[in-house]
Amino acid sequence: MVKNITIFTTNTCAYCVMVKRFLDTKNHTYDVVNLDEQPERQAEALALSGALTVPVTVVTKDDDTREVIVGYNLSKLAPAIA
Amino acid sequence: MANTTDLPKHDVIIVGAGPAALSAAIYTTREDIETLLFERGVPGGLAAITDWVDNYPGFVDGVAGLELATALQKQAERFGAVIELGEVFSITDEGDWKRLDTTSGDMLAKVVLIATGSDYKKTGAPGEQEYFAHGVHYCATCDGAFYRDKRLVVIGGGNSAVQEAIFLTRFATHIDLLVRSTIKASDVLQTDLQKFIDEEKITVHLNTTIDEIVGEDGSVVKVAATKDGEPTDFPTDGVFVFVGLSPNSQFVKDLVELDEIGLIIADENLMTKVPGIFAAGDIRSHATMQIASATGEGATAALKIREYLEGRKHPAQN
Ligand SMILES: Cc1cc2nc3c(=O)[nH]c(=O)nc-3n(C[C@H](O)[C@H](O)[C@H](O)COP(=O)(O)OP(=O)(O)OC[C@H]3O[C@@H](n4cnc5c(N)ncnc54)[C@H](O)[C@@H]3O)c2cc1C
Repeated sequence: MVKNITIFTTNTCAYCVMVKRFLDTKNHTYDVVNLDEQPERQAEALALSGALTVPVTVVTKDDDTREVIVGYNLSKLAPAIA
Repeated sequence: MANTTDLPKHDVIIVGAGPAALSAAIYTTREDIETLLFERGVPGGLAAITDWVDNYPGFVDGVAGLELATALQKQAERFGAVIELGEVFSITDEGDWKRLDTTSGDMLAKVVLIATGSDYKKTGAPGEQEYFAHGVHYCATCDGAFYRDKRLVVIGGGNSAVQEAIFLTRFATHIDLLVRSTIKASDVLQTDLQKFIDEEKITVHLNTTIDEIVGEDGSVVKVAATKDGEPTDFPTDGVFVFVGLSPNSQFVKDLVELDEIGLIIADENLMTKVPGIFAAGDIRSHATMQIASATGEGATAALKIREYLEGRKHPAQN
């Protein structure tokens, strides 16, 4: 089961909107870290994803295991939240 | 291969959900023509990943690309357009029906509109592939924020390169714009660019070709280039590449006629050489590569599709 979801986004990122819409359609709530508003958390996004890009979606499960999905990648995101 | 009669059937399938496709869908669905769109990326297409659109009619102060794309999508969905997030791999002409091989399996449509636009071209330089998303990028609105207070290189001299270089100045301390020959961007953009050159935020390097994107410890550190025939290094934290677009037409290259750069040739009704298969927007040969023209062509294609479908119902009217 999913415990919580965090999405790292920016104001102008279209693929971030797609991730949010997808999670909305699956009735998942999520926290948003907007890197335009919180640039100090950029290093955290980079450490999690290993890539200089957004969206980065972090799905934490009930057993505290984490799955990090880089970009708008439904083939990874869909099973991660199932 | 499944028997044709067992396959899902649609009146119209639109390949892509960019501005051309969404506008066509607004028109077809509003006229009760059932329409399914396939989108392998983001609805809104290139418009959705463009920071700011200043020249789309009706917006006095311009509009964010993402906002325009979202509005087009919602408008199409309001009339009943269905957008499936998936890809069309190929299309086969079976006469009255067109068969599409898609991520959701094979399906049939009476009419297909190809509105697949283009994708960013790569430079092919060593290091480009290796450092993709780790210092090499193709989408400023997606990845620009990672370069706050950093130095950047932007490669290209057309509208997109200049527009995106200007956008990236909101993050980067300085941008070297590497241009193979001369700047080809519109006069308006060149005037805007001059302001940033004067402020020493952007330096333009003409006659500059890139040889390699060089990294150290997993990060990009410089672009090795040749400027005016001399090897020249451009130290940088990241590289954004905007060297043109490559048409998304490979999946229909054996079906429709393509021009020498791979754009789809269509007649004045926006129909390709295959009856029932139309093309609109950036993917059409001689398109003007603007959102306003793409939406206009989408509307025209929809009206021509309606005529085509009615013509099929009432052949005597032809
Ligand atoms: C950086 C940049 C800035 C720009 N700025 C402006 C501007 O300020 N003003 C302006 O008017 N124009 C601008 N443009 C041009 C404008 O974005 C395009 O002209 C317009 O988006 C074209 O619309 P389209 O629907 O034809 O194609 P696209 O927007 O390219 O949409 C095509 C869609 O089809 C999808 N697709 C492709 N192949 C398949 C397949 N096989 N299966 C499923 N889906 C598929 C793609 O994922 C894409 O979403 C800009 C372009 C760029 C790159």
